[in-house]
Amino acid sequence: MSEIEGLHLTKAYGELHAIQDLSFSIEANTITGLIGRNGAGKTTLLKMIAGHLRPTRGELKVFDQRPFDNLVIAGNTIFVNDSMTFPESFTLQNILKEVATFYPNWNQSIAQGLFDYFQLNPHQCHSNLSKGSKSTFQAVIGIASRCPLTLMDEPTTGMDSAVRKDFYRALLKDYIEYPRTVILSSHLLGELEDILEDILLLDQGTKKLQMSTLDMKQYALGFRGNAQAIEALLRGHLRGDTPEEGILRREEFAKGSLYVVVKAENLAVGYERIRRQDVEVMPIALDDLCNYLTAKTKGGIDDVFKRG
Amino acid sequence: MIFKPDSIKPIYVQIAEWLEAEILSGQLAEDERVYSQYQLAEMFTINPATAAKGLNLLADEGMVYKKRGLGMFVSTQAKEYILTKRKQQVLGQMVKDLVAEAQRLGVQEKELLQMMKQAREEIYEGGDGER
Repeated sequence: MSEIEGLHLTKAYGELHAIQDLSFSIEANTITGLIGRNGAGKTTLLKMIAGHLRPTRGELKVFDQRPFDNLVIAGNTIFVNDSMTFPESFTLQNILKEVATFYPNWNQSIAQGLFDYFQLNPHQCHSNLSKGSKSTFQAVIGIASRCPLTLMDEPTTGMDSAVRKDFYRALLKDYIEYPRTVILSSHLLGELEDILEDILLLDQGTKKLQMSTLDMKQYALGFRGNAQAIEALLRGHLRGDTPEEGILRREEFAKGSLYVVVKAENLAVGYERIRRQDVEVMPIALDDLCNYLTAKTKGGIDDVFKRG
Repeated sequence: MIFKPDSIKPIYVQIAEWLEAEILSGQLAEDERVYSQYQLAEMFTINPATAAKGLNLLADEGMVYKKRGLGMFVSTQAKEYILTKRKQQVLGQMVKDLVAEAQRLGVQEKELLQMMKQAREEIYEGGDGER
């Protein structure tokens, strides 16, 4: 059953359409990665799902209800983001104690265990924390609250690499023990992808694609090698009205050499057959794939430096 | 445990291969219970859906069987099946790659066979002899 459903959802801030005609659905008890470039609309979407913002147009249902200004949704949702506010004079210990009373599924032993593991100082004030410690503390709350709907907007900002890895693993372990619907927005897809079931990729306020990470791994393939060999291959094996529609990326990286990324569905033959023609076939990291799919040009930053 | 993230093989295939290796080495014996999708998810820090797909690969090929409510168990013929499959597919492909690379480098058949013989000797040297 879908837990969250958006239909032709739009959010406008004056002239700017942060979210535009977005339709999507998210299944219950899955972990979804909300991915997109800066300004793609990730935070706006999460704020609408959390009920903090009212959609300008379209329909949004969470647990079959409109989330805006809705107590049921608010009571079943935690939204971890960098604008979470806590009383200034409270120590972390105080906050942890108080926050527990807000969430019926709160797990104190997980909360305390993670708090101690990450060596947070119980007597420190929230406002004095470093960026990384603040994120860590909020992530602890996000996990321990065990909310049916757990939203995290770039939860790893400022965390060092060791803490990030521990956080992913802690989230996954607690999710397995106590399944819930999790949406994480992040720019670090490479680190995160293994714990995700689905990916929702936003581009300029609209949905670029939504699929399981398993399917997405097979969405595209990269070819590298002799430019002529690759051009011939593209002419011969690409389906579609024009070969260009199957090409996501094209880079000339050395003299006479080419690197192209092609949509697997546009490829008329299996990659095993292409491998024999002395062209290197490579998998595309999801992180790179998302960048290619949302890039303005097929040549990337190098296009800026091309002269003449 | 960490997988090769740059491998062309999807993680669920790597999971299936890891389980195959466990069966092959006897770590997972005949009729023994295989790890659940949740155990695998925790072991490798992957989404349970990915782990389930790896398990299903094994189930589809009959290497494991389901007992309702109890989980998956290693089939009687699993070890034999894996052995044959690996010989034909994995080792077969490695040999093809080896021959192709030798050809690119202009290594003649005699020299290639000599290299393989030497490699065998190096590997088995001081060990428990040929197996």
